[in-house]
Amino acid sequence: MICIRHKQVRTFLSAHARLVAPLLLVVAWMLLVPAICSAQTKRVVIIKVDGLPYGLLDSFVKERDERTGKSRLPWFDYVFYQRGSRLANFYTRGMSLSAPSWSTLDTGQHLQIKGNVEFDRYTLHTYDYLNFIPFYLKSAAGQRVDMPGAEVLDSLGVPLLFDAFSHEDRYIGFQLYQRGMRFMTLKEAMQRRFMKHPRELLDEWTMGLDMRTPFFDQMERELKEKLSNPNTRYLDIYVSNFDHVAHHVNDRRSHLSEIQTIDAMVGRIWTAIQTSPQAQETALIIVSDHGFNTTEGVYSQGYNLVKLLGSPAGGAHHVVTKRRLMLDYSIKGINFLVPLITTTTDDSYYLAGQSTDYPTALLDFDGNERASIHLRDSDLNLLHLLLQQLQRRKMSPAVRSASVDAFFRTIEGRRPQWQKNLDELNEELAALRKSIEQQRKLWEAEPRKFTPEEIKLGRDDQKKRVYAQLERWTTQEKDYTEYVRTLTHLLALRKEGFAPDKLKIEDVIAKRTMGERNSVHELQNYVVGLASGGLHLKPDGSLDLAKSFRRVDYFALIHNVTMRNNLQPKLANSPVDMIVTRISSDLVAPLVGENDLTPDVVWVYGGREKQALILARKTELGTLSLRYLPIRNLRQDAAGSIQFDPAVWAPGFPLRIFEDPEFAIPDRQEWLSQWHTDVEWLQVLHQTKYSNGLVGLYEEVARHPNENFSPDEPGLSRDEHLMRRLVRRQRELIETDLLLVANDHWNFDVRGFNPGGNHGSFFRISTHSTLMFAGGDRTGIPRATTVDAPYDSLSFAPTVLALTGNLRDDNNPISTLWNKGFRRFPGRPVTEVLGHRQNQKLAATGAVAIP
Amino acid sequence: MRFRPEGLRRRKTCVVVLLLVVFLIPAHPLIDRRVEAQNLPTSAPATASDIFRLERVPVAGGAELITIHAKLSGLETAGASKAGPWVPMVTVLRDTLGDRSRENDRLRYVWPLTYTRPTLRQRVFGAIPFLYAKVGNKKQASDKAPPPVLDLAAPDRDVWNRIFWAALQSLLLDPYGTPIKASTRSYRQNISDYRKAHVIRALSVLSLYHAIEGGDGGDRAGEAPAFTESELAEIQARLLLTDKTFGGLVDSLQLARYSDQRATGTLDERGHNWELMRQRAEAESLYFDPLQMPDGSTTHALLWVARDDLAARPNQQYSKRFLNIENPWSDKRLKRWQGHVETRYFDSENRPVSAEHAGARAVEMIPLALYGLDHPKIPILLVDFRDGLNPKKREMSRRVLEDVTRNVLSLSRFGDVPYFLGRTLFDFVTGRRGMDINQPSRLRTYSQLKLLLALNESLDPELRDEISHRSEKVSLNPIENDLEAEANVARQQYAALVAYANSPKGLPAKLDRDRRAELVTKEHGKGERALFSLANILSFGKYIHREKHSPDVEARLNISRRLTYHSRFLREVAQSSPQIDVVWNLDDVKRSLRFIAEHGSEADSRAISATGKIFTRTQDDETRRTCLESLSRIDNPKARKELIRISQITDLDPAWKQLITSYLDNPKRMEPLAASDAKPRANRPVQQ
Repeated sequence: MICIRHKQVRTFLSAHARLVAPLLLVVAWMLLVPAICSAQTKRVVIIKVDGLPYGLLDSFVKERDERTGKSRLPWFDYVFYQRGSRLANFYTRGMSLSAPSWSTLDTGQHLQIKGNVEFDRYTLHTYDYLNFIPFYLKSAAGQRVDMPGAEVLDSLGVPLLFDAFSHEDRYIGFQLYQRGMRFMTLKEAMQRRFMKHPRELLDEWTMGLDMRTPFFDQMERELKEKLSNPNTRYLDIYVSNFDHVAHHVNDRRSHLSEIQTIDAMVGRIWTAIQTSPQAQETALIIVSDHGFNTTEGVYSQGYNLVKLLGSPAGGAHHVVTKRRLMLDYSIKGINFLVPLITTTTDDSYYLAGQSTDYPTALLDFDGNERASIHLRDSDLNLLHLLLQQLQRRKMSPAVRSASVDAFFRTIEGRRPQWQKNLDELNEELAALRKSIEQQRKLWEAEPRKFTPEEIKLGRDDQKKRVYAQLERWTTQEKDYTEYVRTLTHLLALRKEGFAPDKLKIEDVIAKRTMGERNSVHELQNYVVGLASGGLHLKPDGSLDLAKSFRRVDYFALIHNVTMRNNLQPKLANSPVDMIVTRISSDLVAPLVGENDLTPDVVWVYGGREKQALILARKTELGTLSLRYLPIRNLRQDAAGSIQFDPAVWAPGFPLRIFEDPEFAIPDRQEWLSQWHTDVEWLQVLHQTKYSNGLVGLYEEVARHPNENFSPDEPGLSRDEHLMRRLVRRQRELIETDLLLVANDHWNFDVRGFNPGGNHGSFFRISTHSTLMFAGGDRTGIPRATTVDAPYDSLSFAPTVLALTGNLRDDNNPISTLWNKGFRRFPGRPVTEVLGHRQNQKLAATGAVAIP
Repeated sequence: MRFRPEGLRRRKTCVVVLLLVVFLIPAHPLIDRRVEAQNLPTSAPATASDIFRLERVPVAGGAELITIHAKLSGLETAGASKAGPWVPMVTVLRDTLGDRSRENDRLRYVWPLTYTRPTLRQRVFGAIPFLYAKVGNKKQASDKAPPPVLDLAAPDRDVWNRIFWAALQSLLLDPYGTPIKASTRSYRQNISDYRKAHVIRALSVLSLYHAIEGGDGGDRAGEAPAFTESELAEIQARLLLTDKTFGGLVDSLQLARYSDQRATGTLDERGHNWELMRQRAEAESLYFDPLQMPDGSTTHALLWVARDDLAARPNQQYSKRFLNIENPWSDKRLKRWQGHVETRYFDSENRPVSAEHAGARAVEMIPLALYGLDHPKIPILLVDFRDGLNPKKREMSRRVLEDVTRNVLSLSRFGDVPYFLGRTLFDFVTGRRGMDINQPSRLRTYSQLKLLLALNESLDPELRDEISHRSEKVSLNPIENDLEAEANVARQQYAALVAYANSPKGLPAKLDRDRRAELVTKEHGKGERALFSLANILSFGKYIHREKHSPDVEARLNISRRLTYHSRFLREVAQSSPQIDVVWNLDDVKRSLRFIAEHGSEADSRAISATGKIFTRTQDDETRRTCLESLSRIDNPKARKELIRISQITDLDPAWKQLITSYLDNPKRMEPLAASDAKPRANRPVQQ
């Protein structure tokens, strides 16, 4: 019987093969991608709010307004609390800092952008992700079309969430990762600012003209207009006023006032959605990039790292920043096109008067509860000092000879690394030059004018992108070539015939470069100048490197800073909580008995006796697994070997996990000594003071190679391989030597003062952000639902794509998005808000595959 | 404009002589006093009621005087022995029309009781140009009622007065030559600054009271609060706006926002300056000592240097930037300092602790300076313990510049392009760099310092006296009184005010006149009102048109004020949200709509358009119906127009269109509206 049936089936199939095959494919496709079948959300509207803390928002929603008897934030209550879903535990993954945070939210991929400002160590090129004005000006000149953040992500092949929607189907507000510029928005905003009833205008003038709000109002107006177009499938608006106010003041009344402004906007947008053609299929989402560490009655105190680094004890560095110090008090501060700012120290040990040529420290203090420091390669300092000494005429032959020996010994010690980088960079520059030529031809072939249809499709923007790329590459080629030139000269020096007095130092020690990243040994023994007694010989006649140079241990120096004025009882006397840096796992693996570690280990310094290592490995399914190892006294010798002393779990280690009352694990020591996935860590730690700081530190400090843009991808041409390698190198060159994390209510802002509050750290209060969903009946977004399970910002983009039917169950994008460059998302979609999908069995195999 | 070189030279000579006289006022000598081992100066009093007391005095005819008394423990005045440390600070008149409803109340006069009419001597000296010094106190206040600084019910009067006097000065007085011009302008400036200082004081008291009592003061015995939250915000906003040329014209709907905006701005300034001072003190190895008001806000700060540090760090680098005092490390006077010193104690983390704290480290400290933190951009130097002239010079700088350019050289920003450009540049640079020569904010912070010194019990008495003495020396205004004199004056004036309130010919009679004047806006058209205003101006304010006495004045006022109240509420509702149902309690909205409907003919056009907006912004049928009924009952063409506009809304349900048509066809055949006199629900705070 069965055989007959099988035979019948076979006969049927062979007879109708042409018909059955496509049918089977369709069925299989539908089974594999149930999201597409079930998703009813045709349109998403996203309100992006900079730094809106969930805790504060939630408390205001639950407060009653005595006048009305309703919530103090009636629209949040109405839309998201009564008619939507909210995540009670949504966190920033990584630092609670705008540029990195939005990059994770807007891409759903691991962190590639590590600060609001980044410096290229070789060239001091800055990536300033927050400064809109240069972007506006360059856009006006037709030289740019994307904000710097979007450009960097493009160069890495990481698409933004709104790239999932075609140019004509989306409306994008002005934001950090912006594409395209609409000057009409600015123009309309200004016109509407002043085209008012004279009485109204007089009132506003008397009370103080507000020049920020009109732009947000105009964007909102445009967004509402776009809602009436059923083809528009993605709309977003970015609001930053709360962040601005919360940095300055810490009182609840001011905070409430700002959030009420957002509440009113939610109401207006929600009402506009309800009257639009696709109300039932539209989801309204509000998301913030981080929380805010602000406490009424407590001022956030600043600490000036520029001053520390410029002081004799701090190394007497000339320090470069991308933010002007005391900006509001500076006449030059009116220049919106902020150049690199060099703060000259009068105490420099060997570079007096050369601050603009030879800055030796780069500082990014943006984000305030954290700062990043690049120091010039300590060996470059040493070589620079020796050259200066050797160029002096009065020098005994013995010291001269020893100094020459030391000079060349240092070069030889670094030659393998420097030569390798030099060779690779030369190869990459050759490929870059070819690319520039090709790009130039492409640019020349671009049409001069575009039809309205082409403009609607964004062809004019594409043309500008071609130019912007050409301009960027040309600058890079010039800058890297200069670096290569000097390094080549340095490596070409030979002891035989060495005549330092005939050398120009700037020919061998490049100006305005930091060189390679410092090792732990170098940071613990950093050369800042000659010792007070000058060069010193050992008994064997060689130069005593230990006694000849003034050295600084930056870990101890920075961590031990204390204050004379400690006026607020809740604040520690030291501004620095921990210092973090990346170590190669090759150096650590033998010491911890692990052989499958990922390449990066994160070292967290909380004092000599309180340190930790964050170890990582990947499971077979690609899941990240982490271990936190408490240690003491990590040091590295000159040969590169790492040593540390084991430590037992006790209170006081960085992140204060062990003693945290919210760490609800019975056998803490046992649990903490094991490996756990990032999700497990998040679930267990998220309520603690540092929340997901452990995962965040790894996210921030470790490298996350982008599989979509791997130089080792098969099938690439040689030049493509080299260009990708150059891009990867550029991301590595922005890595800092030290990441400093501030103690509670401390900050490193020296641009001005942020007494109201700050963010940037890994404290729960700073990372606890907002994510809420609401939508029409057909979106399936549950009503009046609180999602208590913790999620982080990697979950945002896949959730939006899942909601709109663009994500497969295995976290891969659907094929159209795959073709646009989207790849598997490492974060979990928030299934609780996906309605139809919530109880479905996931069809994913877990395998990463091209759809 | 042409310059006459000779005249100019003479003027320059005069200026130089005057400047020399003023600058040669001797610095206050360092006081030879020594105080040992003081405890920490910054501790707030135990409870709020220890600081403020509210007193209500009923006024015949239906009003009350609400007075905030402050416990000025820092003062030891003659009057203090009888009255204790309590000093009446601010009084506000609330015209209640004799009932308990807040809807028809009107807040009227604000009396900062320390504000008094200057003596003849003060006035004369106030008119002497370039005299930047105090000339004595007013010892005895008059028996007459004190002068109010503002009438909250007619804030616009202040604007027109100011414009009138400015015009009079320019057209009538200035042409008489420099002496008249300079003295009249000086007089007006001093009078204006004096008033401003007391407006600021009143504001500070109200802010403190608001912060401490949370806007419900007086409710302890179950009585209604003295001021609602929004009333306090309104009073503060109106007082703040007295500083602006057109401040009195600002729409009352904007007041709460403005008050919030300014409160945020002030907190921002304080926070920035607190942090700037702390960082600068830290950078210069000095000690920063914030001084707190009773509500915990830090408005001022002291800067100290440790005596041991002076010996230990003779070569310490020093930057004067922002601190604006001379280098203490190289100052020989400090090395043999005989003035005030205090011993403070710190723990191992450098936290200030008491002497009894285990392991406390004693540090003997010398005061260097006192700064005000309520100042744009940088802390303002108020007292330099080593150089009494230092703050005085800063205080005078801009005033001298203004007086010389305007009163002597007759330069005006609007009449002289090079001066305009130069002055703009100067103002930009000084403003940008944060130089503490900004006169208005200096007034504010001095005024607050007086309050701080009076309220702060934790300051060492001798240090407080010294600060008080030095800050009085800095005062530029001949009309100003010192702190103790002000406290005495406040007590005397309050007694006079209460007597005035109790006299039938006093405040009750004035109240009656004011009410009749208030009715003018309801009884007369725009043209007539303009004529009345003109008559008022031309008679130097003597003529005020009032309605005649009639038995129904209060009833008419009651309707008029309630209409204003409901109209304002409806405007606020209409402006607030695209769907008012989400944001407001619809019972409140309907109540206001019904009131407007009942007194339709008197409803103003703004109430009509608000009603129309509410119709389109609610989903609630009953509220919509009430809107339409209200509009149909208002006997006003604009209301009819509004109904027509609503009926033309394209996607409006036909049933509503039909209803509107019926209203338009026969507006008089309406059923009476239900529950028009419905009271607000129990325990619900009154709107506004």
